[in-house]
Amino acid sequence: MPTTPPQPGTPPSGAPERADLARLAERLRAIVGARGVVARPSELLAYSADGLPTYRKRPALAVFPSTRDELVRVVRLLAAEHRPFVPRGAGTGLSAGALAEGDAVIVGLNRLTRILSIDPVNRLAVVEPGAVNVSITRAAGAHGLHYAPDPSSQTACTIGGNVAENSGGPHCLKYGVTLNHVAALTVILPDGEIVALGRADGEAEGYDLLGAFIGSEGCFGIALDVTVRLTRDPEAVRTMLADFTSIEAGARATSAIIASGIVPAALEMMDGPTIRAVEASIYAAGYPVDAEAVLLIELDGLAAGLDADVRRVEALCLDAGARAVRVAHDEAERAQLWQGRKKAFGAMGRIAPDLVVQDAVIPRTRLPDVLRTIHGIAERWGIQVCNVFHAGDGNLHPNIGFDGRDADQTHRVHHAMREIMRACVDAGGTITGEHGVGLDKLEYMPLIFSEASLEAQCRLRQVFDPERRANPGKVVPVHSCREWTIAPAARGMAGAGNGSAAS
Amino acid sequence: MTAAPPPSTTAVTGVYAAGELQELVREASARGEALRIAGRGGWLDAGRPVRATRVLSVAAMTGIVDYVPGDLTLTARAGTSLDEIARATAAERQWLALDPFGAGDATLGATIATASAGPLAHAFGTPRDNVLGIEAVTGDARLIHAGGRVVKNVAGFDLVRLLTGAWGTLGVITEATVRLRALPETEESWALPAPGDGAALDALLARLRAAPLAPLALELVSGALARRLGVGQRATFLVRLGGNADAVAGQRAAWAALGDAASADADVWRALRACEPSRAIVTRLSCAPSRVAGLWTLALAVCDSTSDAIAHASPGRGIVRCILPAGDPAALDRLLAAAARVGATVIHERLSAERWASVPSALAHRLSRAARAAFDPRRILNPGILGPDT
Repeated sequence: MPTTPPQPGTPPSGAPERADLARLAERLRAIVGARGVVARPSELLAYSADGLPTYRKRPALAVFPSTRDELVRVVRLLAAEHRPFVPRGAGTGLSAGALAEGDAVIVGLNRLTRILSIDPVNRLAVVEPGAVNVSITRAAGAHGLHYAPDPSSQTACTIGGNVAENSGGPHCLKYGVTLNHVAALTVILPDGEIVALGRADGEAEGYDLLGAFIGSEGCFGIALDVTVRLTRDPEAVRTMLADFTSIEAGARATSAIIASGIVPAALEMMDGPTIRAVEASIYAAGYPVDAEAVLLIELDGLAAGLDADVRRVEALCLDAGARAVRVAHDEAERAQLWQGRKKAFGAMGRIAPDLVVQDAVIPRTRLPDVLRTIHGIAERWGIQVCNVFHAGDGNLHPNIGFDGRDADQTHRVHHAMREIMRACVDAGGTITGEHGVGLDKLEYMPLIFSEASLEAQCRLRQVFDPERRANPGKVVPVHSCREWTIAPAARGMAGAGNGSAAS
Repeated sequence: MTAAPPPSTTAVTGVYAAGELQELVREASARGEALRIAGRGGWLDAGRPVRATRVLSVAAMTGIVDYVPGDLTLTARAGTSLDEIARATAAERQWLALDPFGAGDATLGATIATASAGPLAHAFGTPRDNVLGIEAVTGDARLIHAGGRVVKNVAGFDLVRLLTGAWGTLGVITEATVRLRALPETEESWALPAPGDGAALDALLARLRAAPLAPLALELVSGALARRLGVGQRATFLVRLGGNADAVAGQRAAWAALGDAASADADVWRALRACEPSRAIVTRLSCAPSRVAGLWTLALAVCDSTSDAIAHASPGRGIVRCILPAGDPAALDRLLAAAARVGATVIHERLSAERWASVPSALAHRLSRAARAAFDPRRILNPGILGPDT
């Protein structure tokens, strides 16, 4: 498809760039076909945000390879042109991590969705990066296996995005995060070289470059295929709902369960405002609307011993002040209890036009006092915070509904967010447990890392992407990398770029 | 590839604090002096071809810095021994579920730096799955922190994983935060004779995979090792079951259904960890778990025909670990030939200095070399310990 020539009357300085872009689009079309390149500004709008609506950036182009070979050729073309790019899966991320601006090109992976193989004996699956998380579990289900990490967006998010973000989910309390479930990757580095990281058929020796790649937020390259570990379906599952008249009591119960040594498959908390939002929505799950907190607790594993654990958890909740503990009697009731949790964000969408979901982790013993602090911050700034989160591992998700058209309200939300983040860090926590840094958390990185520690992260990025063309400007604040930018040339390392992509 | 010169370390310098270590590394870096990084020195006799004239020991950097039982996390200085951590956590009915082979006075720092794991890895993974945060001094003397003290954390690039298993070549670990678990309410250990025939072993492993069992550990030990541990006369499975009373009872029944099960002493795991004589040759072979019966059969044939050789395997992880007498290089050749026949991966733990020279570098890939150059530009930290790195 021919591209629109530069319009007459455009400023002279923009013309060469526009011509460059048109040429690049043409070359990309030669690889992926006309329907695989999006170049019209109006169509690029669709890729200008991810799941966090407060950021918008317009990419120069978006390209959607349909095969591994096309993906490799696209990355190599971008390397030859020294063009920055941003890998993107389903765009469900919550840190503004998959946004591109300036001359950066979006490389969309959501057409590479195949499950390449399943090995039920070794409990492995090899999948393409655009495979949707839940599709792996569906494909493995016939063998009594599933893929354990289950972010709330699992029906839409891709495994490639999960690898980039080291995604978690409610069940990672017992089963671990993406890092613990990826055995190997084949990746294409930003310079076009294809490398194998980790291995599935024996131990890997040397540096854990697989571990370093997972959670690198698209800054180290693109996975061509992902070998995931599959988990045996539990023999039995029990889902319970404990209902409390105060957040503190719910937090105490959480601490007591964790300290007891029972590791629930999931231990989720929803506070009063969340409960009421869910119950007022089409996702009503039968939660008690007069409660100030509920814990959704799931125990699973071998059938033997499970009911003893259920009784113990029930007793711990009652001791902590629960009014009642309900155990789901059948699969339908269980699904209903989970629906309220999984759709809580959607339910909160009814309350306000805009919603920001925050993500921070605190030591589990600090839950009661940090939740109290967050409540105080919300009151002081006159905003409504809903808490729905992974209590079992201290991973908070304060949600603030607001109206983005109201400048004053937006301003107050921003300040409250900063204070909440600061309170979590002061409690010994971290600024993100599963959403990643992206653009959104850049300003918080110096709260938890010294300049030397940030600079060390820049060094690691430099190992994978000396030109810093992959997802430029994300994860580590640019100023931390300045010193390192000039260093590679001095060290004589091959491929040292000018680093301008990150500035 | 040229033979590496034998390590000729002369002086040992002990440090007590991260700042002091940073200063020593800074001076060494300025002089271009290579350092051998050590904890309690358990690996110093592993024959690894380190080119260094001075040992820098973190063994005196001991002590638990922070331990909040309710958080199930613990921060300790690098020289703290696993035994000391076990004592402190047992008082709260918790444990750090890492049980690397060797002495219990192994340091936390060395366990992480070498990514050493033992039978408990079956259920709890290796150090990469249990380390939450690391403080380290890089080769150019920068004190850095990676990760944190909470159980879930995706802030920034994952230097924790990079430093874990890097054998000190990217930075000297000075402190680490680890994830703890609650000790099982009750636990018991059982033995079961393993079939000698590969096909029968394969069939039993398939039944094991399908059985309602979630063991804390599952190991297969050779006949010679079984006799030494007092659990049998021939190759034997050892299983460690844990959980509440009902869970253990249910699994005991499932285990007994597999064959002629016999109760084993709880101490068998400690004895297994300590089974290898110092200066022995230790080599790990690995493959996909589905092929481990074949690999085990071949490795066992070598070990059973070598006096003083023992072997054990973690079938769930596809790993066979062979311990051969130091004075019998021919046995190692037979083992390597067997491994090559089935395409198994070979990782050496302990060898003679001469044999190390023919081991391929673990840092052959350009990414590994670039990482080495980025964190230790003058290559003063344990140069050569993972093979040629320039």
